[in-house]
Amino acid sequence: MVKYISLTIDGAKISVPEGTTVLDAALEYGICIPNLCHVRELEPIGVCRVCLVEVVENGRSRVTASCALRAKEGMVVLAHSEKVLKARRVVAEMLVAEAPNSRAVQDLAVKCGVTEVRFPFRNNDCVLCGRCVRVCSEVWRAQALGFVGRGKDRHVALPFNTRPEFCKRCWSCIAVCPMTITPCAGPMKVGEEYLCAQCESQLSMSQNIEDSCTWCRLGEGFQCARWADVATSARP
Amino acid sequence: MSTVHYAGILETVEGHPSELIEVLHDIQEESHYLPEDALRAVSEKLGVPLIEVFRVANFYKAFTLVPRGAHLITVCTGTACHVRGGSRLLDELSGQLNIAAGETTSDGQFTLEAVNCLGACALGPIVVLDGKYYEHMTASKLRKLIESTRAQDNEDSAYA
Amino acid sequence: MPKMLGPDALLGWAKKERQEREKFESTVQICADTGCRASGSGVVVKALRNEVERQGLQDKVNIRETGCHGFCEQGPLMVIEPGNIFYGKVTPEDVPEIVSETLLNNRVVERLCYVDSISGERIIKESDVPFYKAQDRTILGQNKVVDPFDISAYVANGGYSALARVLTSMEPEEVISEIQESGLRGRGGGGYPTGRKWEQCRAADGYEKYVICNADEGDPGAYMDRSVLEGNPHVVLEGMMIGAFAIGAQQGYIYVRNEYPLAVKHSKKAISDARDAGLLGEDILGSGFSFDVKVMRGAGAFVCGESTALMASVEGKVGEPRPKDVHTVEKGLYGRPTTLNNVETWANVPGIINKGAEWFAAKGTARSKGTKIFALTGMVKNTGLVEVPMGTPLRTIVFDIGGGSANGSAIKAVQTGGPSGGCLPTEKFDLPVDFEALSEAGSMVGSGGMVVMDESTCMVDVARYFLAFLMDESCGKCAPCRIGLDRMLEIVTDITEGRGTAEKLALLEDVAETVQVASLCALGKTAPNPVLSTLRYFRAEYDAHIRERRCPAGVCRALITYSIDTEACTGCGACLRACPHEAVSGAKKEPHVIDQELCQKCGICRDECKFDAVVVQ
Repeated sequence: MVKYISLTIDGAKISVPEGTTVLDAALEYGICIPNLCHVRELEPIGVCRVCLVEVVENGRSRVTASCALRAKEGMVVLAHSEKVLKARRVVAEMLVAEAPNSRAVQDLAVKCGVTEVRFPFRNNDCVLCGRCVRVCSEVWRAQALGFVGRGKDRHVALPFNTRPEFCKRCWSCIAVCPMTITPCAGPMKVGEEYLCAQCESQLSMSQNIEDSCTWCRLGEGFQCARWADVATSARP
Repeated sequence: MSTVHYAGILETVEGHPSELIEVLHDIQEESHYLPEDALRAVSEKLGVPLIEVFRVANFYKAFTLVPRGAHLITVCTGTACHVRGGSRLLDELSGQLNIAAGETTSDGQFTLEAVNCLGACALGPIVVLDGKYYEHMTASKLRKLIESTRAQDNEDSAYA
Repeated sequence: MPKMLGPDALLGWAKKERQEREKFESTVQICADTGCRASGSGVVVKALRNEVERQGLQDKVNIRETGCHGFCEQGPLMVIEPGNIFYGKVTPEDVPEIVSETLLNNRVVERLCYVDSISGERIIKESDVPFYKAQDRTILGQNKVVDPFDISAYVANGGYSALARVLTSMEPEEVISEIQESGLRGRGGGGYPTGRKWEQCRAADGYEKYVICNADEGDPGAYMDRSVLEGNPHVVLEGMMIGAFAIGAQQGYIYVRNEYPLAVKHSKKAISDARDAGLLGEDILGSGFSFDVKVMRGAGAFVCGESTALMASVEGKVGEPRPKDVHTVEKGLYGRPTTLNNVETWANVPGIINKGAEWFAAKGTARSKGTKIFALTGMVKNTGLVEVPMGTPLRTIVFDIGGGSANGSAIKAVQTGGPSGGCLPTEKFDLPVDFEALSEAGSMVGSGGMVVMDESTCMVDVARYFLAFLMDESCGKCAPCRIGLDRMLEIVTDITEGRGTAEKLALLEDVAETVQVASLCALGKTAPNPVLSTLRYFRAEYDAHIRERRCPAGVCRALITYSIDTEACTGCGACLRACPHEAVSGAKKEPHVIDQELCQKCGICRDECKFDAVVVQ
């Protein structure tokens, strides 16, 4: 027997199986919380800090990543408070300044309300979301990839920078990577990066809960559902 | 470093993943760095995936995968030492030896490291050369220390 | 040593050891910890032992190498009993006189006595030295009378009697109650009520539980834990044993940072001695309680001072923190309930058990009880470890105990709480050292690091320093910390190099707020504190850098110039010879000149000049 517990997100009381994360619970009910490192089939690691929510307990609130937070009976969650919206926006702004050449990150930035980027752009190939590492170790149990190094030096690497023989070249790592889809307008020249905001999801749904699109599949990734359905054949 | 050395260390372990950091310390103490083949052997012996061993070796500053120079000179960059000019010492040494912190001189003589606090804060700025602590260091004292170390090395090799 | 099979055996042993020590006519307690060794205490000890042997006084004189006494600035130092005679800055050449005058003839060697910087008086007794007088050295004072290498010294001083009492006559809940009533709060920086932590851990589900001693002490400028663990490892062990009994743990770990080799050595020796004496292992003192401890070394990662990262490191993994939605008292090491406490926290436990919660709670303020050890360093005269009751004003610590400015330059600020803390200006020096008081002011008590800064310290540079430190130590897992600190450092560096603007300052504050709110762990969340506190109290310095492209303290290299005052310069040529960049030129007896193109602002010329002719502005 699956035990159900109820919690409140943005005033809406919802009921989910015990052990469900707050993010999964929200997405299930159409409450859109932007996210980047989240993949439903993989263990959450809560590193992108985009899916932040406020949890209110005993009159005090704390901010935490909803993807890694297991819902508890009676939990009160604020997914769109000013504090959380601002934090999300600045985090997304920093992410797009790091990696402007990813459609996913550009899309995410717009969804989180970024309208200008106040940092000098850098052109990184990786946002360290950990999807590749997790798919390799959790789904295939190969553990051929890992996060190596600390702080700014942190990067995804193979052991001793050599592909081990137990890597079967399944390319799952590439399949889940948010960096592999370039912005519609094409790769940006180094030194001429900008916030694209051309994406159709410019009709930002993350801010307007009452207008939330009922066929939104944000839970599955970061591409706007409309684009995926309409332009499947035109996908690069 | 021959296989014999770390084989000895590996014989004394129980084979549990939690021993990883201690084993890496022991191997590095013996050979002054962590050779790739040693790490591969550790991965097998302790049942830790190779990528994890590689991660641990790269994450912790105490470990190095690259052989170190004959002399290890460490400058403390803790707050108390910084306030007394510790960072200037690091810059000075960096300039003098022509390497950045974490690197080794081309003649293989000196490896320069910066460490975030050695715990002798009342006596800063502190510099440690080959395990010996020097307190209240200044840029000129440091120059003299390097010069005398080099002179000693030249003397030693002259008699070698 | 024989195994202690019961509490009576322990009492008997303590008595025997005290009697043994009474046989000596005099005792020399000489500090032999890492700091004093760097000052040369090792050679002094050797000289002392040789001289005592030479004069055949081994049976009369007890030479004890102890842990830190706290007055590091005076090292190598010693205290001689009887008489409580304090000698500082002792050299091996002083030893023969000490032996023949003081040890043999009870005469004081006046030139080795401490001179009071204000009155000019020579002070003979350690207890009269102003540095010590204002302190309450409940924990640190024990270093003098115990011996890290000899468990019998600890036992002779009443060691393990608290453990015996707990095991024979107290229930775990009683122990927890006592600690709760004492008001003891974590000494590692978090200030979490210790009794409450133990209660939560005891109540957590699961049979297998752990206690951990956090001896990572990563805060630069803090070395209290090193001194306690090096000088008195048994008090930490005893505290851990009592805690383990209270929460129901069977295994403990002491996680010591790699940069403290002596602390590792002494802890291991203490554990081995305790095992031999039957105070660790199965059925301790015949009570049925079994517990053992293992020492684990860190490997150079400040982030491993964070509890979840530390536990990951104990498990042999990289020290990456995890979100604390579920606390470590419920799911900690290996997913089991774990109580992690700081070295000083554990060290306070036996005292509370022996002397009672009321005794402990009588000291301190309403919310911060007991004493706290601080590492007073930086631009202050008397640097060292200071233990005072909580609630002591900062002013007392910096001026009365610290002796004020080291070299005449006015004291400007004190930095407390390490990289998670902040800088407090002199206007705030009347604040008591109390968890809440310092947090409200924008800093924190933290682990106890207290770095004094004067006019020669640039507060913008301090902010830059801490950002660079935290970036170096960040695990890099979460975006706000990894990228946010980088961007903050970018901006502050711009300011120190003359490229600051008002917009950048506003952006800095915005990013700081986001890093505080969005980071995954406490390292990230508290990382903006140094920047925010310097912005709050030293805005003028930021403004000078941004609007005037000027560094008032003369530190930021891009904004200063080194020049020679032609009036003061005697043309001695010392700077010319010393300059590694050949930037100084001038004829003998003529005023010298610094070539600004070549000058790297390393400061060597200023160090060498005996006429104060080098000007930095």
